[in-house]
Amino acid sequence: MKRNRLLAVLAVSALVLAACTSDSDTTTTTASDSTTTVGETTTTEGGSSGEKVVIIGTTDSIANLDPADAYAVHDWEIIRNTGMALTKFVPGGIEVQPGIAESWEPNEDGTVYTFTLRDDVKFGDGTDLTAELYVRHLNRMLNLSGTGSGGVAGALGTPYIACVTPGAEEGQCDEWGVKALDERTVEITLTGAYAYFPQLVATAAYVPSHPSFPEDSLVEIPTEFPYYGVGPWILESYTPGEQSVFVQNPHFFGDKPKVDRIIVRYYSEASQLVAALAGGDIDIAWRSVTEPQLLETLDGTDGVVSAVVPGGGIRYFIMNHNLEPTDDLLVRQAIAASIDRDEIVDRAFGGNAEPLYSMVPPGFLGANEAFDDKYQAPNLDMARDLLEEAGYSEDNPLQLQIDYPPNRYGGVVQDAIAIVKEQLEATGMIEVETVATEWATYLGEQINGSYAMGFLGWFFDFPDSSNYVEPWLYSGGLGSGVTTQDNEPTPNFTTPEMIELNQQAATELDLDARAALYEQIQELWAEDVVTIPLWFEPERIFYRDYITGDSSYDNEETLNIGATTEFNWVVLDTNK
Amino acid sequence: MNSLLLLFVALGVPTLGVLVYALVTGSPGLRRHVLTRVALTIPMILILATVVFVVLRVLPGDPVTSSLGPRGNPEVREAMRDQLGLDLPIWAQYGRYLGSLFTFDLGNALTSGRRPVAVELGERFPATIELIVPAAIVAVVGGILAGTLAGSRRKSATDYGLRMFSVAIYAMPVFWLGLILQLIFAVQLGWFPVAGRIDPIVSGSLERVTNLLVVDSLITGNWAALGSALRHLVLPAATLGLILLGVFLRLTRVNVIETLQEDYVAAARARGIKEGVIVYRHALRNAMIPVITFIGLQVAILLAGAVLTETVFSWPGVGRYLVERIGLRDYTAVQGVVAVFAIFVSMISLLVDVVYSIVDPRVRY
Repeated sequence: MKRNRLLAVLAVSALVLAACTSDSDTTTTTASDSTTTVGETTTTEGGSSGEKVVIIGTTDSIANLDPADAYAVHDWEIIRNTGMALTKFVPGGIEVQPGIAESWEPNEDGTVYTFTLRDDVKFGDGTDLTAELYVRHLNRMLNLSGTGSGGVAGALGTPYIACVTPGAEEGQCDEWGVKALDERTVEITLTGAYAYFPQLVATAAYVPSHPSFPEDSLVEIPTEFPYYGVGPWILESYTPGEQSVFVQNPHFFGDKPKVDRIIVRYYSEASQLVAALAGGDIDIAWRSVTEPQLLETLDGTDGVVSAVVPGGGIRYFIMNHNLEPTDDLLVRQAIAASIDRDEIVDRAFGGNAEPLYSMVPPGFLGANEAFDDKYQAPNLDMARDLLEEAGYSEDNPLQLQIDYPPNRYGGVVQDAIAIVKEQLEATGMIEVETVATEWATYLGEQINGSYAMGFLGWFFDFPDSSNYVEPWLYSGGLGSGVTTQDNEPTPNFTTPEMIELNQQAATELDLDARAALYEQIQELWAEDVVTIPLWFEPERIFYRDYITGDSSYDNEETLNIGATTEFNWVVLDTNK
Repeated sequence: MNSLLLLFVALGVPTLGVLVYALVTGSPGLRRHVLTRVALTIPMILILATVVFVVLRVLPGDPVTSSLGPRGNPEVREAMRDQLGLDLPIWAQYGRYLGSLFTFDLGNALTSGRRPVAVELGERFPATIELIVPAAIVAVVGGILAGTLAGSRRKSATDYGLRMFSVAIYAMPVFWLGLILQLIFAVQLGWFPVAGRIDPIVSGSLERVTNLLVVDSLITGNWAALGSALRHLVLPAATLGLILLGVFLRLTRVNVIETLQEDYVAAARARGIKEGVIVYRHALRNAMIPVITFIGLQVAILLAGAVLTETVFSWPGVGRYLVERIGLRDYTAVQGVVAVFAIFVSMISLLVDVVYSIVDPRVRY
């Protein structure tokens, strides 16, 4: 009897539940009505017969899709495929070409740029892009700086675009130097002359946001889909943690994509990404597979093509100029003289990386081998002499702690750090302790200058040598401490003249002169050991052999991903 | 209605119904027990919320640094800290947090989109439910059947084998088991997908009503989606379920052995009733009662196991979300997940406790 009553209670509950279920929404971030039913036939959006679909797997995830604020690699990839900036990079290369601007012109001193927009640029919903709408986007980006989780404006916007009418309070601006001169002409006034400004406006920050995005707030993750930009793709739906689906933009002014649909599938770990590609669940694995064992697995899988992308990230040690023992120039130089990059690349990476001898990587303006020229490392004799001069000996060894994040840049970093420890201790005058700290903890401590010798990686915002120099010279230098937060050189920074050289290089329009300036900077860098460049880690892309790129562009074997590591999905084709 | 709210309605309505039933028809002891449990739930959640709040802020790192990474100038960092309220005194942040809990507002995530935590959890909770329910079924059904077999054949090779299996499977790290199953059945044999909830192309054809993909497939009659969802569910559910199966196996075995030693069982044998009938119809029913109670306690373990399982299989549930957000030091998101987990586990265990006491008249409070 009791049980029957209990069952009755549960049955009533089930009825209440059923009533609630019939009113429930779908999750707001997936596309509405993705299935059309005709009679008894259900037409699926994805994979209907004849439709070409490419599935890309990645370990990245979406963080922010507002061009005015987004500052992560995958976010930029989506923004640059669904949108387009004033300029863009040629697929497979690093040359800048017209984007939504058909032409641009600097004034005499390079402080004002005038861009003429194309007259056929439309968002995916058919809305025309006018100069006024574009200026609206720029104002959004500049005015909303610091209010979002991305922070792109603080790096690529406000330092470059002049404030013509300051606001009442410090840091505020009532009017920025951005103006629509007519229906198609945009004028941008800069804070100075920047030779690399055309590259800068190829970044995702200069992709126009849709006019439905409010002026006074960011839309980091849209609640309504499709998400429209002015580029070749429309983001049709996004299921957090699962996938995002892209279809062609019928209003795009440029070359139409060869495939009908792109699905980006999100994975937690690189091992799953590798397994998914090997098992045929996905067509392309892009970002990031770095572990040698996983690379070997894919290299040996039938039907999978592996290609090394010309671009990638650099890895380096940061030497704190304000903390013992790295505040001593002799110690920094001794460490630089001890490190054998070839051994790191061979033992930790199985050869799947390149030794790096200057912070500016090969192929960029001013790249040289300054550290090799100065130290010819491994040079243990030089290292010992320097350490002796600094007051160390076998009986009184240097006590050095190396801090690093063990998983941020791939598990292989632990191996590399262990090898560096061996190399430093081979001098007989250094005792090394390595400390691994989880990324979220590590980064804050590193930037605040808590570590004497830390490890970081870097990838450019835009492909220019300045982006491989400036982050470590200003505002504390990511923990290098060569300058204060007010950009004043600190006492142990022995080559502060490189700051002046960098300022000259930023405004120098003559390429040869610019290259010479960056070479000089690298030589001074090696002299002072601001950081120690270690290796350059190219990205790798893996794809099934029925996927092809575009033979009319460079680097077809990497699906036309060049040194910018920009993946233009418009080049993809599939013969599956 | 947000899926998270729907979930709590789905759980809350029967729980409330059962509580009211217990209060109305139960013994004075039962009524006291129910009221005490309900009253203790609130301070329990508050204590847990406070511990999480403190631990997150004691941990080095913060959401601003996690969001901006090495980029972002000091002005931007300060502006962001100000905007997120991270520069408020700690007691003020705590007050804000408690206030939001009492108004059932889990706040906005501090990183990656800064969306309402309730919305983000609503999107992900169904995936976790869809994983733990079949895992629980695997654990309970498999454990009970195997435990009954072991208990009814005590000291046989079957009994020893199953006991060894139960210990081995329980000792195995869940992520390791998941990787092994993935390697064998997905990569080598290709029988099941490596990861995810559903085929990427089929996903587009499925109308998501509850975001429980199996249920939505049935509701909408999308058989391709049903097949895909079930195939994707096998390995993760098996991983999570097998770990707990060992526990249920041993518990059932012990209870079956005890029950088979009861006088009424001897009497049944004396009357010539077949052994199978004795074991599965008489002994097992009585041996099941403590096992059913134990199910309620395992919800917390299932949720904990789901965190690792979801990471191994890229399952887009709350567990994976929690791991990601801890790494980003997203205080609000982590606090929200823990609060929701705590409420969820409390409700389940309270429901099971009360149902147990109603069903078994021998239970006295």
